[in-house]
Amino acid sequence: MIASGGLSLYRRVTGLVAAVMAVTGIGLGVVAASYARGAADDAYDRLMVAAALQIAESVYTQDGRLLADPPFSAFETLALAPDDRVFYAVAGPDGAVLTGYDDLPGAVRVDPAGAGSAVGNGTFRGVPVRVAAARRYIPDAATPGWVRVALAQTNEARGALARDLTVKALALLAVMMLLGFLAALVAVRLALAPLARVERTMCERDPKDLAPLAIETPREIGALVGAINGFTTRLSRHQAVLQRFVAEASHQIRTPLAALSSQVEMLAWSETGTGPEAEERRARLTRIRARTRELARLTNQLLDHAMVSHRIESVPFSPVDLSELGRQVLRDAASSAVGSLSAPPDLDLAFEGPEAPVMVLGDAISLREALGNLVGNALKHGARARLEIAVRDLGGVGEIAVIDDGPGIPPEDRERVTRPFEGGPGRGERGEGAQKGAGLGLSIASDVVAAHGGRLAFVTLADGRFAVTLTIPAAAAPARAA
Amino acid sequence: MSASARLALLVLALLLGTGAARAIETHRFPAPGSAAVTLSLHAATDIAAMRPLIEDFQATRPDVAIVYTEYVTAELFERMRVACEGAGGVDLVLSSSVDQLLKLVNDGCAEKLGLATTGLPRWTRWRDELFGFTFEPAVIVYNRDAVRPEDVRRTRAELIDLLRADPERYAGRIGTYDVTSSGIGYLFSAYDARAGAVFGRVMEALGRARVVLSCCTTDILDALAAGRLAIGYNLLGSYAVAAVRAGAPLRVVIPRDYTLVLSRAIFVPKRAPHAEAARAFVAYLLSARGQARARETSFAFGFDGNTVPEADGPALPPASAILRPIEISPELLAIQDRAKRARLLGDWRSAVGAPVDAGAR
Repeated sequence: MIASGGLSLYRRVTGLVAAVMAVTGIGLGVVAASYARGAADDAYDRLMVAAALQIAESVYTQDGRLLADPPFSAFETLALAPDDRVFYAVAGPDGAVLTGYDDLPGAVRVDPAGAGSAVGNGTFRGVPVRVAAARRYIPDAATPGWVRVALAQTNEARGALARDLTVKALALLAVMMLLGFLAALVAVRLALAPLARVERTMCERDPKDLAPLAIETPREIGALVGAINGFTTRLSRHQAVLQRFVAEASHQIRTPLAALSSQVEMLAWSETGTGPEAEERRARLTRIRARTRELARLTNQLLDHAMVSHRIESVPFSPVDLSELGRQVLRDAASSAVGSLSAPPDLDLAFEGPEAPVMVLGDAISLREALGNLVGNALKHGARARLEIAVRDLGGVGEIAVIDDGPGIPPEDRERVTRPFEGGPGRGERGEGAQKGAGLGLSIASDVVAAHGGRLAFVTLADGRFAVTLTIPAAAAPARAA
Repeated sequence: MSASARLALLVLALLLGTGAARAIETHRFPAPGSAAVTLSLHAATDIAAMRPLIEDFQATRPDVAIVYTEYVTAELFERMRVACEGAGGVDLVLSSSVDQLLKLVNDGCAEKLGLATTGLPRWTRWRDELFGFTFEPAVIVYNRDAVRPEDVRRTRAELIDLLRADPERYAGRIGTYDVTSSGIGYLFSAYDARAGAVFGRVMEALGRARVVLSCCTTDILDALAAGRLAIGYNLLGSYAVAAVRAGAPLRVVIPRDYTLVLSRAIFVPKRAPHAEAARAFVAYLLSARGQARARETSFAFGFDGNTVPEADGPALPPASAILRPIEISPELLAIQDRAKRARLLGDWRSAVGAPVDAGAR
């Protein structure tokens, strides 16, 4: 079974690509933001450490007293983050703040011990700040020791730089992702193109064409095309076998049936005796003859049905002239009606149709079979004095109708009678008892018309006559186009 | 110290006394329309300079009344330090001592105003909280009658030469700020010290010439106009030009070696009661209309640096090599550093030979 409701391959692949890209994009975005933050911190940390070192460098002693003189340059350096607030404190070895913000050393804990300088994060007066600390040993103070410089700066400039870097990285990322996604779309379309080509080739070719596909395909779908070709080859072989079987069966069964019929006829003719036994033998022979005839008819119809079924599945259509077809079937009917027991005597056979051919696209043999069956049915069950075949060109469709002056088929039975072995009881019973249960004729006609994309309909005409009409799409007027 | 110098100091002390008595005055500007908002503006700037700006602002916002409280810079700083820690009740703080304002803003005192894209140079604003709105060069002012035209000097080195060549002529007749009591004086001298070694020699020369120290620009300008002083060093150019326009016989010289430029600044404190109207006032000061008005009526110089007829000196376009703006940036924290201040004041005192209590108010 083909699950055609499944997701399209194209959508599935592009969806997967989009999902992978989205996840990658988010991941890379997070990484980019983190890198940007790191880069911004690094850049501004250097400035802060430089400023802290400059301030530490400005500490001097005078008469043993520690003094600080924070240089302009330190603040100029810090002003490279133009809009950030700056807090600083210089503390002597005893912890006393020499200058700056007295509450800063207690609020931030970044220890420059060891490296000489250090950076970290903190909060000062309720504001998140970056903190840089530096220290310097003052040997000539009254109490020699380490002078510590704490420097805190708000995060606006570094935040802005980080955001700027992140936005630029993300923009670049977005452009690359978009290009990648478009490339993936194109790639998927290109990759799926051979499948589309196979599909197109399959759709365009005649459904009855079972020859292997002859198209260039990439390695990846070679197996698929191979499988399709293997399948069509097997199918066509099976069809050939079936066709041969039907042909052989027709021949093999018809011949002995014909022989059997003639033997039974001869036996009936030769039975000339009298007396009750002879009468009974004659009666039996009559029944055997009827049964044999019915068997022959059914067998013929079955084989015809098989043949027609096979043909409409496998034979390519060609333009057929409905008028020509109608006349031919009428001629056949005329010749077979002569001497036929079922046909009423003095039957008037008529043809009505335009002078110009009415061309439809179809299989002439199947159509002829279908029409023949309709005429046979009419002769057998319907027509009393007149049987007419009427052809009309309805523009785009051709119509051929078999019209008789019989009672027709009651509307309630019309749908049923087109099914195999469902010949109308009215018709079956109305004829000689032997015809009971017959009725592949309408079924065959119905199948053939359906295979031609046409329609079979029962119509009671205004004058009371009964018509079976076949409408078949017209041929695409090749003669006129040419 | 000579008798005349003692007299000068006495006169100065009297002048300073009147200056101190003038501190904390309140001026009311009723709203031209029906008053909806009363802005409380605390300023260390002459009311005369601000009055035209306030009135022009009220023409654009008739619903705003303004109460203008005038301080000297140090008092304003102390007042605001307290105000920032507790309840403020102040809508605007305006001062020429931008180092003090910057320190206040650095300590988290100010509100962001969303005025970061004004037409003024980048160095006039910080954090979208503190905005400079004037362009005020530090100038040398000469009394036209007391100083011969050929004695007018246009660089610091020339000024030193003049004082060296004829020490007695100008002895006791040169005035400048007492940096211990004048915020602007301290600011200018710190930037002078930063600008180069020449300032040390200037201070030395001024000290030898028994420089007269004062707290306030107007006092020095009055003394210059009256002829008690002949030369004023490092005065606010805007006030000097205003004095010339008022008819004082003064010659204003913009130094040609380098020119310090101060931008008077303003901010809106956090939790200001009328932040919207306060922001509108700041926006007005920074606007083209406010700038033009300020130039016309009060501050003479503009950010384009064009020359002013009353001032003798070069144009100071933004790219000028001699322009030394006092940038409103964390650099000013160095000026406010207490250790640095102690050292600068010590250096200054020893250079000008001023007694420790010379600047007593």
